[in-house]
Amino acid sequence: MSSVAFREVSKRYGTVEAVRSLTLEVADGELMVLVGPSGSGKTTALRMLAGLEAVDGGAIEIGGRVVNAVAPRERDVAMVFQDYALYPQMTVRDNMAFGLRRRRLDRAEISRRVTETCRTLGLEDLLDRRPRELSGGQQQRVALGRALVREPSVLLMDEPLSNLDAQLRVQARSEIRRLQHEVGTTTVYVTHDQVEALTLGDRIAVMNEGRLEQVGTPEELYDEPANVFVGGFIGSPPMSFLPWDGATIGVRPEHVRPWRDGLMGPIEGRVAYVEALGRETLVGVDTESGARLVTAVEGRARMEVGEPLRLGLVESGIRRFDG
Amino acid sequence: MIARREQVLAHVVLGAFAALALWPVAKILLLALGDPGNFATAWEDGHFATYLRSSAIVTVSVVAIATFVSILAGYAFGQMRFRGGTALFYVFLLGLMVPLEATIVPLYYDLRDVGLTDTYWALILPQAGISTAFGTFWMRAFFRSVPRSLVEAARLDGSSSWVTLWRVILPLGRPAVLTMVVLVFMWTWNEFLLALVMVSDEGLRTAPLGLAFFQGRNTSDEALLAAGSVIVATPVVLVYLVLQRHFIRGMLSGAVKG
Repeated sequence: MSSVAFREVSKRYGTVEAVRSLTLEVADGELMVLVGPSGSGKTTALRMLAGLEAVDGGAIEIGGRVVNAVAPRERDVAMVFQDYALYPQMTVRDNMAFGLRRRRLDRAEISRRVTETCRTLGLEDLLDRRPRELSGGQQQRVALGRALVREPSVLLMDEPLSNLDAQLRVQARSEIRRLQHEVGTTTVYVTHDQVEALTLGDRIAVMNEGRLEQVGTPEELYDEPANVFVGGFIGSPPMSFLPWDGATIGVRPEHVRPWRDGLMGPIEGRVAYVEALGRETLVGVDTESGARLVTAVEGRARMEVGEPLRLGLVESGIRRFDG
Repeated sequence: MIARREQVLAHVVLGAFAALALWPVAKILLLALGDPGNFATAWEDGHFATYLRSSAIVTVSVVAIATFVSILAGYAFGQMRFRGGTALFYVFLLGLMVPLEATIVPLYYDLRDVGLTDTYWALILPQAGISTAFGTFWMRAFFRSVPRSLVEAARLDGSSSWVTLWRVILPLGRPAVLTMVVLVFMWTWNEFLLALVMVSDEGLRTAPLGLAFFQGRNTSDEALLAAGSVIVATPVVLVYLVLQRHFIRGMLSGAVKG
């Protein structure tokens, strides 16, 4: 196991700055999620850490050692790819053993590790199958197993759940969380899905246009977003923004309530949409200032589009963004 | 009804063209098989044992060299990024575009200067070169179709480029490689001009060249000529039949899928 550090790392493709002066530390054993929209530089950062892309500026450290010029196979990192990248002609057993054989471990040790990893992941019955004979979920677990069996210093995951259906994704997410806690391998996990980030990460690094916008625990990012981008990216639905006393304030749906004394406001508006989700109903409200507020109402809300509403904000839930 | 009629029409047209193409082949086969003794006579008189041996030596060598070099070159062009890669690839393509007839005279003098005319090398080296141009083009298309992540997974798993090529990627390219082998085998086996120009020693004559000499000597005995033609064509047909499943798969995928 090892810590990981990006020190003012940058990467350019022609005129495009894919990663701009990224500084980020991942502690030993931590699960760090890099999250951001497409083109935010998160995958590029991960690939530089793996050694699959050259670093243009700055330094990347693994376990305190600068690895900019170290070949991928000598970095002791393992990666789970978005398309799994399983070797199609090899059985599950050979897929998992391949990396160990390349590292010249003795047969007994390879066999022990493959068996153990397969037991952990419930792959015992699939050992002699080839990837095309597996379902998507099974392929995903084999890809994870192939990475874990190596017992790498750092585990890298590039959107490993994006090819699974919604139900399987939720299952796989908790499985990854459990395994990572069990083995305690330092993990860098890339996703564009903020729900995945919030549920998986010990800490989350939010990236946008090659820049690191904020890094913190899921609670910190949700409660104390550093800027409008983070507030608008984290949370589902995201923060609503509206002008207030010459600044911009952000407020989460749970802090937007029907008007009563003690709240900030009142704010007049009209219902723009009603989304019944079962347990709660999201109501979008267009305010007189032009901003749209989203409020969450427990259970079903009997409201019509166009209906006037008077709302107030819970002051403790307000975030103020300057500039 | 229309679909049915279209189907019948398509079959009639295809059948007509197939008959047109197969007619000469059928005629030769019927002529040759008219008297099985024809084959023994042709074999003896035409010295086909010698010619087939020469053809086998040349063809197997060319296929082996061209396949090995094409795999390596295709891997480099298809998977590696290096300075001048694209320009160099176009140089390789020149080998596909320039006909042998245009270079055969200078080639003859070059090979004569280094003392290689009238040796198997005069037949092997030029054809290996020409086939490598095609083979590189063909294998590059296959290597480009291999998902990048597969190569990267192998790198992270500790493979060198060499191991990645032979253990991870190439097993997926069997249809592409076998299709290339069939094509190069066919072209080399049937090659005539190079053998005509480069060798005068009868012991080095390849089968098509030997057949031409045989035809010159037996213009009147059609059955004997037909038997000689069948003898020369048989190895190509056999190779094709053995590898046809892969060949068709490789051709259909244009070597872009493993």
